[in-house]
Amino acid sequence: MKVILPDQSVRLMEDGPGTVGALLHEIGANPLEVIVSRNGKLVPEQAAIGGDDEIRIVRIAHGG
Amino acid sequence: MTRSGSSGSRTGDRIVEPRAARGESPACACCGEPAVVYQPVTRLHLCGTHLVRDVEERVLATIQETGQIYPGDRIAVGLSGGKDSTALLVILSRLLPTWPGASLVAITVDEGIAGYRADTMRAAESLTERLGVEHRIVSFRELIGNDLDTLLTGRETQACTICGILRKKALADAARAAGATAIATGHNLDDEAQSVLMNAFRGDLPRLVRTTGTGTSTAFLPRIKPLMAIPEKEIASYLFVQDLFSVLPECPYTKYALRAEIRTLLSDYECHHPGTMQHLIESKRTIERYCAGTPVMEPLHRCRECGDPCSGDLCQVCRFRRSLGK
Repeated sequence: MKVILPDQSVRLMEDGPGTVGALLHEIGANPLEVIVSRNGKLVPEQAAIGGDDEIRIVRIAHGG
Repeated sequence: MTRSGSSGSRTGDRIVEPRAARGESPACACCGEPAVVYQPVTRLHLCGTHLVRDVEERVLATIQETGQIYPGDRIAVGLSGGKDSTALLVILSRLLPTWPGASLVAITVDEGIAGYRADTMRAAESLTERLGVEHRIVSFRELIGNDLDTLLTGRETQACTICGILRKKALADAARAAGATAIATGHNLDDEAQSVLMNAFRGDLPRLVRTTGTGTSTAFLPRIKPLMAIPEKEIASYLFVQDLFSVLPECPYTKYALRAEIRTLLSDYECHHPGTMQHLIESKRTIERYCAGTPVMEPLHRCRECGDPCSGDLCQVCRFRRSLGK
């Protein structure tokens, strides 16, 4: 599984954490501050991930 | 599709019990299609179609319940080009036929922030062109003679305060010049809850209860916040499922903002205790009701230099101008 982090760095994971929520927990991201796509489609925290999935995590909180 | 409080019950669409969906995603509570978002307060999953419908219905309900827009109004939309103001303009342009004779004008304030503003300005121009909405651009250079980067030299830690004061003035002046009857901004539920907490932490009760929304004061153009009931994440998701979400650069001055600390604190709390942000807003409304007509509500004066409404002798913009020696 390929995970693209908010800073655009890429992490390859062989045994994924199972769900989007678990992945966010693992990398220390608050689910309310990011949106996550799986193979280009938006998915909620409860969605299953793994295998050849490409996961992109985008930070949404901006501005002062 | 309508909502009923925060219980999660819906009418209009049949609620479908969650089940395993294609692609191993939870199913939409309304149609069973793969969900794109989870709403922790209602505990519902929604697909893209129902998320878009739900967000637009809630925005319309907010506008109608709080009397924000009426037929014939000319609404000046503060359009930074970021996600919140983009969503606001898209939603208002879709809802506009609800108010016969109403019109929109988008106003972008170019603060003059190197490496940040150019992308969002381009996004704002492209959006207004696509939606066919009149677009006006004003700048800090026109307002006060310099860009923000120059104005902040040696006082970077005050960036958000100074920028906020000047942006508010630039937007109000441009809205008046455009013949607007109200100014709409893209403040969402997270922004509003953060403001309540910031004012509480500062012990600033007058600011906590001050409102320039739909009051009877004629000193201000009413400022309306149609997105104030929508969580930030749902706004980003609303744009993403319609291919309207862009990853834009972050303002370089964000690191100086107290709001950034409050945002982290509050979103951590909301994550563990869904509904916290909404409860903060409800607390503010209760305090507002208790404070109505009391000395907490500071009387309005007129700035002795520019005539703008303010709470003291000089408005904040004129005070800042003086600090620059102008």
